[in-house]
Amino acid sequence: MICGPDLSQHTSTVTSANIYMGLGIDNSWSQEQFEEDFSIHINSIDEHDIEFDMRHVDPSIANAVRRILISEVPTMAIEHVFFVNNTSIITEEVLAHRLGLVPIKVDPALFEDKTNECSPNERNTVVLKLKVDCKRQGEEIINEKVYSGQLQWLPEGSEMPEETTCRFARSQAGAIPGGVDLVHDNILLAKMRPGQSIELEAHCIKGVGSEHAKWSPVGTAWYRLHPELEVLQAITGLMADEIVALCPGLFVMEGSGEQRQAKVTSARGNEMQLEKVRRLLSEEEWAKYLQLRKRKEHFIFTIQSTGALAPETLFMRAVDKLADKCDTLLGRL
Amino acid sequence: MNAPDRYEKFVVPDGLKKVAYERDTKVPNAATFTLQREDHTMGNLIRMQLHRDKHVMFSGYKIPHPLEYRMLIKVQTDGSKTPIEAADGALKDLQDELNDIREQFVKEAERQQPEAMIF
Repeated sequence: MICGPDLSQHTSTVTSANIYMGLGIDNSWSQEQFEEDFSIHINSIDEHDIEFDMRHVDPSIANAVRRILISEVPTMAIEHVFFVNNTSIITEEVLAHRLGLVPIKVDPALFEDKTNECSPNERNTVVLKLKVDCKRQGEEIINEKVYSGQLQWLPEGSEMPEETTCRFARSQAGAIPGGVDLVHDNILLAKMRPGQSIELEAHCIKGVGSEHAKWSPVGTAWYRLHPELEVLQAITGLMADEIVALCPGLFVMEGSGEQRQAKVTSARGNEMQLEKVRRLLSEEEWAKYLQLRKRKEHFIFTIQSTGALAPETLFMRAVDKLADKCDTLLGRL
Repeated sequence: MNAPDRYEKFVVPDGLKKVAYERDTKVPNAATFTLQREDHTMGNLIRMQLHRDKHVMFSGYKIPHPLEYRMLIKVQTDGSKTPIEAADGALKDLQDELNDIREQFVKEAERQQPEAMIF
């Protein structure tokens, strides 16, 4: 793909297996060829983020994985909030919405989907409790700020089953390895003044991002194509001086005196400089020297997890989900 | 008040088939599949996979209305296989492809951090 100053060219991929038939090239699907070409390389990985290179796949696959990561990999999030008491200034519906967006650290694979018909039980619901009173203690005001860390997990289930209809047959304590925790303990939920209090029970259920973004397991997931900068004609003399000064790091000078020539180091890793080059391409004198390109089959994929699941697990789940979807369709065909 | 339930986006209602097949009456070897509760994720994926098949003359997908959660895929073959066989093949190829992606990702992740992986 060639990226011009105002328009990119050759952006589409091959759309027919017969397109090169006249040249004697058969580019129909071959699993062997795919396995030979395809490669994955992880560049960086930590608790929340992963960046990897994925080569020789069709954009439709990369895009399907990205879309599924954002909207179809399930997580647990607060869906029902039962207020016992709220004398703070923040209204119930606003607080309930804020609670919904708090990421919960628990593996959703341990839970079942809760449909509207089934009542909440230990297999589909996680119960959290929040009970805070704001008081004056001498000079200090305690609980002036309510943080997500003050949410308490109730492994035995709801403390008011009559009102919430949530009944646990047995404790969740042993069934969930590591227990239920919050990804961040320091999310500000509400502010109070002395004498005010909040008491509530929050029930988390399993869901997917396409229903509500609170269930999306990623902050975001995206990919970009590998950039390339091609020098069409050797850049020498004064022009070389100019480009090296303008894009340090991307261009280096080779040789000296009349023989000096600007050479490209590596387009990847110098993305800021590439943007300058893209602007330069609109100037006629530069357009004949440089060409900005992108490799259509080389994806640099980044996943930012919200923290409920590890980013590498997210990718696996997305691929599994995609395989599941193919399976369902095959079964119904 | 009259908002549809949020789950309607991905739960196939009773009485509707997940995949419906209809032969095209005017074009030879052509058919339309109607997929309930599917979107661009599967639409584009299946379309592109069908394009890799030598015997597929045409394949395309559309989502007729953004508030109706259904997707149509149109396939025309050269006659040596039926549209159903073509779609079946494309989905099987996709599964093999995804299996390989999975395997290679696990291998690479284990190389990166051999002790921490739990799948």
